[in-house]
Amino acid sequence: MAGNILVWIVWVVAALACLGSGIAVITFSNPFYSALSLIGNLASLAVLYLLLSAEFVAAAQVLVYAGAVMVMFLFVIAYLGGRADAPWAGGPSWQALGAVAASAALLVEVIVVIGLKSSGRLSHSARVDFFYGRPYEIGRLFLTDHLLAFEITSIVLLIAAVGGVILGSHSRETQ
Amino acid sequence: MTDPWWISLIKAFLIINLLLLLFAYMTWVERKVLARMQLRYGPNRVGPFGLLQPIADLIKLIRKESFFPASAVDVLYIAAPVFSSFTALAAFSVIPFGPGWHIWKWNVSGEVANLPIALVVIFALSSLGIYGFIVGGWASDSKYALLGSMRTCAQMVSYEVSLTFAVLGVVLMGQSLSLVDIVQKQASTFWFFGPQFVGLVVFFVAGVAETNRPPFDLPEADTELVAGYHTEYSGMRFGLFQMGEYVNMITLSALAVTLFFGGWYGPWAPLGPLWFLLKLFVILFLFLWLRATLPRLRYDQLMRVGWKVLLPAATINAVVTAALVVAL
Repeated sequence: MAGNILVWIVWVVAALACLGSGIAVITFSNPFYSALSLIGNLASLAVLYLLLSAEFVAAAQVLVYAGAVMVMFLFVIAYLGGRADAPWAGGPSWQALGAVAASAALLVEVIVVIGLKSSGRLSHSARVDFFYGRPYEIGRLFLTDHLLAFEITSIVLLIAAVGGVILGSHSRETQ
Repeated sequence: MTDPWWISLIKAFLIINLLLLLFAYMTWVERKVLARMQLRYGPNRVGPFGLLQPIADLIKLIRKESFFPASAVDVLYIAAPVFSSFTALAAFSVIPFGPGWHIWKWNVSGEVANLPIALVVIFALSSLGIYGFIVGGWASDSKYALLGSMRTCAQMVSYEVSLTFAVLGVVLMGQSLSLVDIVQKQASTFWFFGPQFVGLVVFFVAGVAETNRPPFDLPEADTELVAGYHTEYSGMRFGLFQMGEYVNMITLSALAVTLFFGGWYGPWAPLGPLWFLLKLFVILFLFLWLRATLPRLRYDQLMRVGWKVLLPAATINAVVTAALVVAL
């Protein structure tokens, strides 16, 4: 029982940190702080993954997103210097429309999930056994059930890498 | 097999203090070794053989006034060294240093936490540790600190890729991401430094670069950048950055021992942690030796070595290992 309460406390703290840092990302006027908040957001998300006994996903999340990707964000922001914009000044109107549409879609999704859960139609929960979330199990799923998605993702990443190389070499030629 | 939480707590306490002791005396050993290699005496005034020098340094650092630039961003400026030393210390928690013991009625395992994804955790923590350097340099609001942190960032990101790729071969041969499993596998077959020699070389070179040690110490190149990202730091805040660097070096050496040299196993006599320490010291000595021997690389050389030599070598090594593991 004590363990259960501990899980609840951790969940509440991580969820609040997630929300708080998410709001901080879009309200800070200094992009450096926004990027730092995004790191905090990804880290608290990793804690939520840990609570779902998905240790590998949590560690990979920290390694890839909070670690590798956000370093590039911070690098560019620190290099170019923070350009302070008023965050609520608003961009072009299509941006505002898109934002409203996206958040409306998210809201609908949340309501649908809560509705399904409360009416008991979302009852089958995952079987959490010893192998759940282990790298072995994740690797097996990648190479069996989700092979197509896995391979398509690798092709997309390869295209992105080739694109990066082409962009980089192009700018060098023009100099 | 998992320990009660209080045994883990005691082990964590012991390991952290041992690490800090090791860090303190690494500074002494480094100065001594460098001095002897340069035909000097090194510290020899405080205590016999200068053995109390680290303690004198510590007292000096603690008592020093920690002034900082007026335009520095307070919270980040203070948090950065704390963060980087925390991630450095935390990464050591998954390194196995002994076979585990049976003390009275409890089984005490030879590591603080035995995770099935220990290797990923170490790399995740070390990739978070970079933020301490970047944020510290940025928050100091000084051009040398900013340039230093930019260099740290570029260098560590570049070499992290090679470092991760270099251990892929070991993971394939050990068929696990758990460091305990990898050590056991080496004990039942052979140590991986032979078949994974390319991986070992790439890992070591990338590790030297990742810890910003000479000849890859461009982030704090004192001739150009005063001291790099910690230019504006003084007192114990500087001490924490220094601690992060040395503890990272110790952790990487311990990881090399675990992945390539059979962890706590020795060629004979089951001495456990003593073998581990012995191998650790040999690799740490290599770090010091490099510092005393090689001049600093130029920035373009650094990038060329990272992307055009180490990364292809590590990739080819991983692909060949994968093919061999499947074929044999």
